[in-house]
Amino acid sequence: MASKQIQTTYNNLTPAAALDKKTLNKMVWRSLNLQGSFNYERMQANGWLYGILPGLLAIHGEDSDDLKLSMAHNLEFFNTHPFLVTFVMGIILSLEQQKTDINTIRAVRVAAMGPLGGIGDAIFWFTLVPIAAGIGSNMAIQGNIMGPIMFLLIFNVVQFAVRFFLMHWSYSLGTKAIEVLTANAKEFTHAASLLGVFIVGALTSNYGGTTLSANLALENGTTIQSILDGVLPKMIPLGLTLGLYFLMKKKGWTPIMCIGALLVLGLLGALVGIF
Amino acid sequence: MSFNAIQIILVFAWVFIIAIDQFDFLESLYQPIVTGAVIGAILGDLKTGLVVGGTYQLMTIGNMPVGGAQPPNAVIGGVMAVVFAIGSKLETGAAVGLAVPFALIGQYMVTLLFTVMSPMMSVADKMAEKGDHKGIVRLNWLAMAALGLLFAVVCTLGMIGGEAMGKTLESLSKAQPWIMSGLSVAGGMMRFVGFATLLRIMLSNDQWGIYFAGFSLATIIGYVADLTSIVLTNAGFTNTILDKGETIINHGIEATERVGSIANVSGSALLLIAFIGIALALNDFQTNVALKKAGSNENGGDDDGI
Repeated sequence: MASKQIQTTYNNLTPAAALDKKTLNKMVWRSLNLQGSFNYERMQANGWLYGILPGLLAIHGEDSDDLKLSMAHNLEFFNTHPFLVTFVMGIILSLEQQKTDINTIRAVRVAAMGPLGGIGDAIFWFTLVPIAAGIGSNMAIQGNIMGPIMFLLIFNVVQFAVRFFLMHWSYSLGTKAIEVLTANAKEFTHAASLLGVFIVGALTSNYGGTTLSANLALENGTTIQSILDGVLPKMIPLGLTLGLYFLMKKKGWTPIMCIGALLVLGLLGALVGIF
Repeated sequence: MSFNAIQIILVFAWVFIIAIDQFDFLESLYQPIVTGAVIGAILGDLKTGLVVGGTYQLMTIGNMPVGGAQPPNAVIGGVMAVVFAIGSKLETGAAVGLAVPFALIGQYMVTLLFTVMSPMMSVADKMAEKGDHKGIVRLNWLAMAALGLLFAVVCTLGMIGGEAMGKTLESLSKAQPWIMSGLSVAGGMMRFVGFATLLRIMLSNDQWGIYFAGFSLATIIGYVADLTSIVLTNAGFTNTILDKGETIINHGIEATERVGSIANVSGSALLLIAFIGIALALNDFQTNVALKKAGSNENGGDDDGI
């Protein structure tokens, strides 16, 4: 099976039995540790896989080639809002259960993870925490032990309600949607990958914060970065992504080689003052 | 400032838990309001713990981990503020000031761990290839334990070494600023490896235009958002707490901003972009389905799948 890397359909295409409530709930609990192995390259990827593993095991079975395939593509770049991740989990698991084309699953995953970040920040960090912590802090400052208890209670009731609701809701939503879409599966895959690529393009700009040092300037004070921005804003993130794409696609570089190169580039760049 | 062995062990254990909690578990135990009370109770002065925790909490409300940026670490800062307030009988403000070097070291440790964990993803790839699901679980827990240990050790050093330890850490963090700054920059670039990998798999040659369209739209929306909202992430913390330690924090913030400028433009940008992407995808879907139907009418076949 030398072609395993590019295999895009599961070997066993018979839909698996629907996941039971117990498995779904187990994954809600696991979703708490989504960021356990957070890293700069793929962010929450390993925590994401850790979270959905109970579902994948139930769907593909232990020691199956399909499980390996599924694990491999679920280890690709992943980043979403930690409190809303069960929404993505539900949809992706419904697709996995129906043994949907891997390209479709990947595209839907990428398309779903991106937009949730802003929504989650708005709900949790800008609304819930200020309210809960505001109430709690004023009590705590007066020496009232109920301050921290109130805070924990308010925050976690909302958090768990959201996590459990989203998991079950999006899983049944995904299951229903698939029935409609299987009639035009090929067209759906094409449309979904189009959306996925569009989102990756957006992420390149939105997540790309690399800039040159403000100290790199011409004699009149114009920074090199502002000149680059004048040509094309976010040129460096775009250039790096395309460069790495080229190295991997044409030169056969592995991700770890790319990471090593970036580490050297970052350290040397900081030493000589480029960054 | 002297603490007994049991107190030090209990603080070690609590810091171990909340260091992980800042990204996992309940993601709320680490908040200063909770941690202040717990540390206060351990050190035998619940009331001071509550007051310092509550005060620190109000200061850090604008200092959330929005969009994945790493501000000076409020977790370790909160713990040390309470330790100093109780141990050295300091005013809240002074205790928070002394805690700043620890907050900065905390941020450095997070950066370091996230960098080190990047090459570990290749190990995870090998596990996936073999279907080693237990390995994936182990890796996730190991990384969490590493984070907990790093933080717990620094806090323990702080409890034993006191203010002197803060000064040592401060000079340590100033010694070779380019290393931390370089790691931050490299860390900020590593996500492009993740994007490039996705593109390598997803992108067919007829979709390059779509990729650039997504990039352009995000850049435009990001630019507009940048004009209106300025540095949400760091402003709150910097303004309120750092009067006490501005010189120490500056180069840390500088590094943070470069990695973390993603935070300020995120917001609803990606949601808006997704709406437009969905419109494009729907259009593509409907066009292709219509084409297929037209085609199949002509051929009369219904299951050739072409």
